Amino acid sequence: MSEVQVTKSIDARGAYCPGPLMELVKGIKTAKVGDVVEVLSTDKGSAVDIPEWVNKMGHEIAYLENEGDEFKIAVRKAK
Amino acid sequence: MEQQAPSLAVILLSEDLEKLHAGALVGSVASMSGMTVNVFVTMNALKSFRKDSFENADFITGTIGKEMLAKKIPLFDSLLQEGKDMGELNIYGCALAMDIMDWNEEDMIDVFDGVIGVTKFLGMTQGATVITM
Repeated sequence: MSEVQVTKSIDARGAYCPGPLMELVKGIKTAKVGDVVEVLSTDKGSAVDIPEWVNKMGHEIAYLENEGDEFKIAVRKAK
Repeated sequence: MEQQAPSLAVILLSEDLEKLHAGALVGSVASMSGMTVNVFVTMNALKSFRKDSFENADFITGTIGKEMLAKKIPLFDSLLQEGKDMGELNIYGCALAMDIMDWNEEDMIDVFDGVIGVTKFLGMTQGATVITM
């Protein structure tokens, strides 16, 4: 996991659904293809919704980790 | 056959904060996920889109709506704006209800793309999935 180079990290802890997803979408929109955007979240819905959005939009999950109530999801922009 | 982007129509009828929030949430996420979204705001829902409703936090709420206000989470106006910024989401006021109440677009929060009739809305949402709140 540690070898993934994160381009931008977004702290969306404490935001309610779909806040972390919205922050990620903004981050991906301004990122370059190949960049990795990481989101920190405490929202359980986002842990399910973010991978769904990533698959639908054709990007790639670099990693999805959770520690207690916190999730860390990194997404590689594919197009 | 011509391929069309998947399209969603959201019709907001109710002034209940929870219904407005749920409709706005579905619309904004759909927009961010590549769908074309058209939102039609009509009847009592229009009242909650008035600037003075926001200034006075004058919304009809139930159990969850009260808590949303207490926790000061971003409301439906913010969700809709995010949907506009991050994808294709258009919002229209209903000409009939606006006329009956003698309200103008300037009385409304700044998210509207126009005031239209049902015929125009049906034209732009042909074949779309429809959600009514």
